[in-house]
Amino acid sequence: MHILVFTKRVPATQEEELRIQGDGKLDLSRLPFKMNDYDNYAVEAALRIVEKSGGSVTAITLGDKESDEVLGRAIAMGANDGLLLEQPEVLHDPYARAFLISSFIKKENIAFDAVFTGVQSEDDQFGAVGGILAALLNLPYSSMVIGIDEVDEAGAVVRRELEGGIHERIRVKAPCVLSIQSGINEPRYVSIMGIRKASSVERKVFKADSYGGGGSPLIRVVRWVYPPKQGGATMLRGELESVCKDLLGILKEKGVWQ
Amino acid sequence: MSYTLVVAEVRRGVFEERNMDSFGISTLLGKDIYLVVPDGSSGPGEMFASRVITVRTGEEIFSNPLNIKGIVEQIMSENGKPSCIVFTHSSSGMECAAYLAGAFGFPLITDISGFDKEKNIFLKSYYSDKIFGEFEFRADKTLVLTVRSGSFRKSAVVKGAAAAVDVIENIAISGDRTFIEYVEEEQAGIDITKADFLLSIGRGAGSKDEVPEYEELADLLNAVLSGSRPVIDKAWLPKSRQVGISGKTVKPKVYLAMGISGAFHHMAGMKDSECIIAVNKDSNAPIFESAHYGFVGDIHKVRDKLKAIVKEATVHKG
Repeated sequence: MHILVFTKRVPATQEEELRIQGDGKLDLSRLPFKMNDYDNYAVEAALRIVEKSGGSVTAITLGDKESDEVLGRAIAMGANDGLLLEQPEVLHDPYARAFLISSFIKKENIAFDAVFTGVQSEDDQFGAVGGILAALLNLPYSSMVIGIDEVDEAGAVVRRELEGGIHERIRVKAPCVLSIQSGINEPRYVSIMGIRKASSVERKVFKADSYGGGGSPLIRVVRWVYPPKQGGATMLRGELESVCKDLLGILKEKGVWQ
Repeated sequence: MSYTLVVAEVRRGVFEERNMDSFGISTLLGKDIYLVVPDGSSGPGEMFASRVITVRTGEEIFSNPLNIKGIVEQIMSENGKPSCIVFTHSSSGMECAAYLAGAFGFPLITDISGFDKEKNIFLKSYYSDKIFGEFEFRADKTLVLTVRSGSFRKSAVVKGAAAAVDVIENIAISGDRTFIEYVEEEQAGIDITKADFLLSIGRGAGSKDEVPEYEELADLLNAVLSGSRPVIDKAWLPKSRQVGISGKTVKPKVYLAMGISGAFHHMAGMKDSECIIAVNKDSNAPIFESAHYGFVGDIHKVRDKLKAIVKEATVHKG
């Protein structure tokens, strides 16, 4: 089975404060970047299939030059090769991204049995590129894949995560597009040495312009805003010791600790 | 007169409560509301929609993106193109909305939580709710939306007149993706929904090696240890301890969140707790907006200090 896995380079914002600049843009320049966490699970899921039953994994990324680094990571994990579809500006419209990718796949005649994506990207949380891409390629689709129970030539039996601890088991015919949910596996550890070694594997670079670039987007960000205020917490301040005593006082008052 | 099409989410016979948010945004959009549902349950749909279209098929076939495409195609050929198609932002809503947008070349905005009617702009979360984007869209095309649960239900307005009723008897059922069965996740270990006091840890806990330290604190405080999605994905805690949309919904007396930033899918599972206390090193973490008490600081230091104080108090009591 030949699997294409889409990976994305995203800023690591979990522990960082995000600021909107005077010109309305987001300043991401100080942030560390990394592979979208959901894509780690997608790469791992693809590798486990080909390691068991043969085939190959190609990592693809759509983004600027720097995005090469996530291809390096995917190759260090075990992907056979990497393709960079170079697009200097961020495309916020998932339709524009999916359209560009589908044009690229069609024009370059890239063969595959399955396309894997992460369920969403950590930065924009659209969770939409996989589904749009599947429709554009006229292929069956499933999102929220939390288990891959069987794989054969005809397709796969997968489990989709629904809400509240329920899964839906479905059969999907190949070729297909699957969006992989986090927690489906434990992505393998990648060493610095592994990433260095991966850098010797040549990556093919394609210019997005040749496939229509961003095209004319269907949606557009007008501006960035901070989250709506909801009242907010009473903040505890002071020395660590006194804050911890205050905190224990609250637990006592609520009757959960004596 | 154009209309807004609400695609219902029905799961195991239940008309999901988050459909109310779809009615809410549709009410704000101001067009006639058409509701499409599978056989069985249209819930309170008749009260909010001016037309209810029942598809003579089960929910398993209905909530399959490949089949939804054909269903919407039939509705459009009978009624013309809607100005907007609304889904819940759920496992099924997300995949059906994206597939539909791709199939028809419609603009799509997912996980919307706000709408400015005057500017015709939608609000959507970025970066785990740390920043929101205001989106405009190509107004000459049908807009596809998925709606964040809890965001719009208060705007839903009950209609005076009875809803018209339509039935779609036959649809093309795709053989490329077929339903097999529902599976319940295995339930093992402690039931966190029964705890009065949850100590919950997030990504900020740093590594699996730190988890026993939090277990010890939970024991000292007579709390039960739970976690957010990343903690369960990384196997630091078992699945049965997960709080959030895809885990458990909890309402303890006290929810002490340490190193949890408070993204929506987590908050939805614990926002009704009687008292939420949040400790996080990021002063802008969204959890501080919904928490009752907050402290900005290093969670490991808070943990160790709490342990020291509690241990000392126990010694003094003898």
